[in-house]
Amino acid sequence: MKRKKIGIIDVFIWIVVAITIIWVITPFYWAVITSFKKPVDVFRLSAIPWVQFHPTLENWKMEFTQRGPELFRGISNSIIIAVFASLIAIAIGTFAGYGLARYKYRRWKNQNMAFWFLSQRFLPPAATVIPFFLLMKTINIIDTRLALILVNTTFTMPFAILIMRDMFRELPNELEEAALVDGCSRFGVFWRIALPLAVPALVSTAIICFAFAWNEFLFALVLTYKNATPMTIIIAGTEHTQGVQFWYVSTRLLMAIIPPAILALMVQKYIVRGLTLGAVKG
Amino acid sequence: MKEKGNVFVVPAIVWVFIFTIFPLLYSFRVSLSSVSYGKITGFAGIANYLRMLSDYRFWSVLRFTFLFAAISVTATIFLGLFLAVLFNRKMRGIKFFRSLMTMPLFTAPVALGYLGVMMFYEESGPMNLLMQTFGLGKAPWLSQPGWATASVCLVDIWQWTPFAFIILLAGLQSISDEIYEAAVLETSSGWHVFRYITFPMISPVLGTVLMLRLVDAFKVFDIPFSLTSGGPGTATRTLTFYIYTQGLRNFDLGYASAMAYVLLIITMVIGLLFYQRYHGLYE
Repeated sequence: MKRKKIGIIDVFIWIVVAITIIWVITPFYWAVITSFKKPVDVFRLSAIPWVQFHPTLENWKMEFTQRGPELFRGISNSIIIAVFASLIAIAIGTFAGYGLARYKYRRWKNQNMAFWFLSQRFLPPAATVIPFFLLMKTINIIDTRLALILVNTTFTMPFAILIMRDMFRELPNELEEAALVDGCSRFGVFWRIALPLAVPALVSTAIICFAFAWNEFLFALVLTYKNATPMTIIIAGTEHTQGVQFWYVSTRLLMAIIPPAILALMVQKYIVRGLTLGAVKG
Repeated sequence: MKEKGNVFVVPAIVWVFIFTIFPLLYSFRVSLSSVSYGKITGFAGIANYLRMLSDYRFWSVLRFTFLFAAISVTATIFLGLFLAVLFNRKMRGIKFFRSLMTMPLFTAPVALGYLGVMMFYEESGPMNLLMQTFGLGKAPWLSQPGWATASVCLVDIWQWTPFAFIILLAGLQSISDEIYEAAVLETSSGWHVFRYITFPMISPVLGTVLMLRLVDAFKVFDIPFSLTSGGPGTATRTLTFYIYTQGLRNFDLGYASAMAYVLLIITMVIGLLFYQRYHGLYE
């Protein structure tokens, strides 16, 4: 079908590839070069380092020396919140995923339960942000990392449950049945046979959860103001204090953008499932 | 043995009850109360819900949210479908290209908003400088309502086109070659193959993408917050943004909770439509 027109179509595809790559890369590229520019060069159309402007490390030095403590706090908060949230989500999610994949529940049917978990993907954060704020004020955990860990666990758990359910369903059941016949307990089967086989999926799911938790903004904005502020809030604050000093702003943007972007590159195999909560296998 | 299975699902169910169901019930109670300075002072019935009817700001915010969702979702799906159809073939570097495309998806939307402030900066930002070199003059990217709407949509489209692309590509790749080979014997028109073979076969995937994108578009907050602060004036405020402002800046918590319930109903309707058509995907 395509063989005849190969020349024209190929040229067209490569043009689209080039445009798409430029379209995707440009904003990132612009942030990177801006962070190495002197203020004078920021407001000129200069894109090629050493040719159109002389790169400087000044902004990064300033960032780490003058505003180091604030930055360090932001990064460590983000890491702690995202790590713990994804760990809890993956732990509870793996259990539930295994249960949904291997048992037939009678009181609530499996499919209904799966959709019940899925329905949280449709829940607008705005609907729970006000009660969370009021309840957390009542129990006095506003502006703690704990508050954001709980929130992000809640948001990422449906992903973990549905992806892990899928993964366990694709593992062959025979191995587990054989172990059951040999007298292994159901929990032992889960722990010794199913779980080790699911490790690659487990790690990928955890990474996806980590990225979501890292990028969360609305709840961080409402529930933290000083001690527990993650990177997303730090960059929002930079806007207000630094304004159009884009050479500083860009250094922080990059520090917020890079960790999840790099992690995303590691989970390509599971990304389609992750994004559609298992509806589309990719 | 059947009963023991409960051990596996109970923690997740308990978690959802504590951290989702209970807050939602609590928020429903708040939406029926009169609240001043963050404290519930009395029962208000449906007064908070009635207030929306006469609040012109609510309607303008709702209008913008629908407009934003319509533009952004349509554009991401068309662009994503176009790219997916184009790249659904054996070619070198497709893996690299796909990986590159996932990067926007994992970038914090709020960071993208501020990146947008940088790109769209009107006095000598790169977009305007570029337009000036082509003799197009400066565009009021963030200071004129129409342009600001376009900017917010553009950033969102930039971020989510890869989402549609990656998922639709996975959908297309799951169609077996034999079907195409059979189809080619019947017709020579590429359009016919797309219209009668490809399109029907990926329509469940397309539906999934559409629903997920719609829900996310209705929930959008980070990008307008960071890119335009909802401005100029209140031109690019979304429903979530207005709920945030009313509830957590002006502490009009009852009214904000009522509006949050309206948003919840909108997204749940989308969710139910999704369930009706695609529950098979989760069986």
